[in-house]
Amino acid sequence: MARDKIYLEEEFPTPLVQLWHNFKQPPVVMIGFCCFLFLIALAVLANIITPYSSVENHLDHLLLPPAWSDDGDVSFLLGTDNLGRDMLSRLIHGTSLTFGLSIIVVIASLAVGVVIGSLSALTTGIKSSFLNHFLDVILSIPSLLLAIIIVAILGPGLENTLWAIIMVLIPQFVHVTRNAVKEEFAKDYVLASRLDGASSVRILRYSIFPNIIEKLISQATLAQSAAILDIAALGFLGLGAPIPMPEWGAMLANGIELFYIAPWTVYLPGLAILFSVIATNLVGEGMRHALKVRKEN
Amino acid sequence: MALILTGLQKTNMLIFTLRRFSLFFFTLLLLTMLSFSLSFLFPGEQLINLTGQISASPEQLAVLADEYQQQSGLLSQYVSYLKHLFQGDMGYSMTSHLPISSEVLNRLPATVELACVALLVAMFVGIPVGFCAAIYHRKAPDNLILTIAMIGYSIPVFWLGILAILVFSIQLGWFPSSGQISLLFEIQHVTGLQLIDILLSDSPYKWQAFQDATRHLILPVIVVALAPATIFMRLARSAMLEVLDTHYIKAAKAKGLTFSQIIYRHAMRNAIIKVIRDIGLQFANLITIAMVTEVIFSWPGIGSWLIESIYQRDYTAIQGGLIVLSSFIFIVHIIIDLVYAALNPLAREPRHGT
Repeated sequence: MARDKIYLEEEFPTPLVQLWHNFKQPPVVMIGFCCFLFLIALAVLANIITPYSSVENHLDHLLLPPAWSDDGDVSFLLGTDNLGRDMLSRLIHGTSLTFGLSIIVVIASLAVGVVIGSLSALTTGIKSSFLNHFLDVILSIPSLLLAIIIVAILGPGLENTLWAIIMVLIPQFVHVTRNAVKEEFAKDYVLASRLDGASSVRILRYSIFPNIIEKLISQATLAQSAAILDIAALGFLGLGAPIPMPEWGAMLANGIELFYIAPWTVYLPGLAILFSVIATNLVGEGMRHALKVRKEN
Repeated sequence: MALILTGLQKTNMLIFTLRRFSLFFFTLLLLTMLSFSLSFLFPGEQLINLTGQISASPEQLAVLADEYQQQSGLLSQYVSYLKHLFQGDMGYSMTSHLPISSEVLNRLPATVELACVALLVAMFVGIPVGFCAAIYHRKAPDNLILTIAMIGYSIPVFWLGILAILVFSIQLGWFPSSGQISLLFEIQHVTGLQLIDILLSDSPYKWQAFQDATRHLILPVIVVALAPATIFMRLARSAMLEVLDTHYIKAAKAKGLTFSQIIYRHAMRNAIIKVIRDIGLQFANLITIAMVTEVIFSWPGIGSWLIESIYQRDYTAIQGGLIVLSSFIFIVHIIIDLVYAALNPLAREPRHGT
């Protein structure tokens, strides 16, 4: 084949492209990443691909076991619950609630946290020290306790739960951004652009953010697995999504009374939570691994 | 010379302790501010949220308003709130009408017991397993341990609790599924820590009671300890890998020490110090897990009480619970920091500014 380029150009991949190159190496991480994409697809397409609506009752098919059991029915692949609602449809709709909303929560708190974090990295002295201690206090209060308190102020409900979790996650992002920005600010290339006369905001935008974005993404995956678990835990405790909503934690709480008769109503939502958290954690793990590899080179 | 050096070390330790305590007071101050502002944020009247006197007559309310200096500025209101706190007066529960402080004192020991036992179990299981993974780095045991760790900290705790009850208490019948001790035993309330109270009591059925309490403790402790244990595994693994990569280990190898000598004499001690530093941070996480576990196992601790007070909209109880639970976490945090500083002289160096 003829070579298009005669001169071998030296290519400098951006940090994100480098990250991707290192990220896709271990097969386990790629499996996790595919599961992650699969969950996103489920969350987006939930309304189109589900066979039934999440609240549709089939009164002649109450508590039907999954299709592989002897009493199962193939038109209800994963069985039904105590009100005859199709488990498969509810689980898929639940993906867009528990998993999909956790992504939105993380993006929102990432945006706020990064802004506060980079502003605080530019401050020094007593203001910075106060903020640091304040963050330490917030970070050492258990996240669930904080979320519960915010829910107590706002009142129960899915939307209020989301606000609570966003607020709980913000301090983590502030902390990570602040440390990462401070670390980069001490490096020589920042000094170089500072000598060129760049303002702090310009340095942040063009020099620092491209270099810390992978740290933020890695923190975001950690935050997301925490967000999934927190949304589900609040749903389970009856403080989050109201009962008819197919949120995984609320589904699990709904199934507890029927545990002995219909164990699948408890197993399946739990497995769904476990699966999505593992997929998220694998992506995060791959990210951190890729970062480490890049640092070593 | 040596005398001066030890003197210097002592002052360093003193300075370190003082710094920690000043941080602790600052933290408590912020926490009380947070809890004070919560009384404004919660729905309903601020004074009633603060005192929990839900059915007080207008005259009583006037007395309370005077006590909490409602007519003066915010700062003096806050100061009088602090005064009440220091006298141990956290108001009355809106549902049970008992003083919050006595409710908390009744329930906190159960949580302390559960959390501390779980922390110890997590440490004693997690750290050696993590070291093991580091020793077999990139071999089959390492991969197996990493997989277990990944599943362990991804599993939702409420689901794990329910499965544990189903398998171990209902199907196998090994352990009881709820509560702290069987109602057959009557144990006098001395320290509140069940196991210690049993040992202190002079009941003729002491050992049966002790066995029963232990059987009640095992399942919740395992459920609470699983996620922190897997985190300790990962921390211990990376700490050990870091240590094994250092020059002094190379020097020890060059000296001709065997592998086990290197691990036991040099690597383990240095790696454990690194893990201990992070234990404090994990404790808040452990308390979160313990709160949910208490609800599932009907454990009479402060976590299940707090969640119950959310259902009841008992705002005074929520404020009190927040202060007590967070202070407990801070105290454990500081204890671990001091232990770390006592073990590691490098940490005692005063760090200037951050």
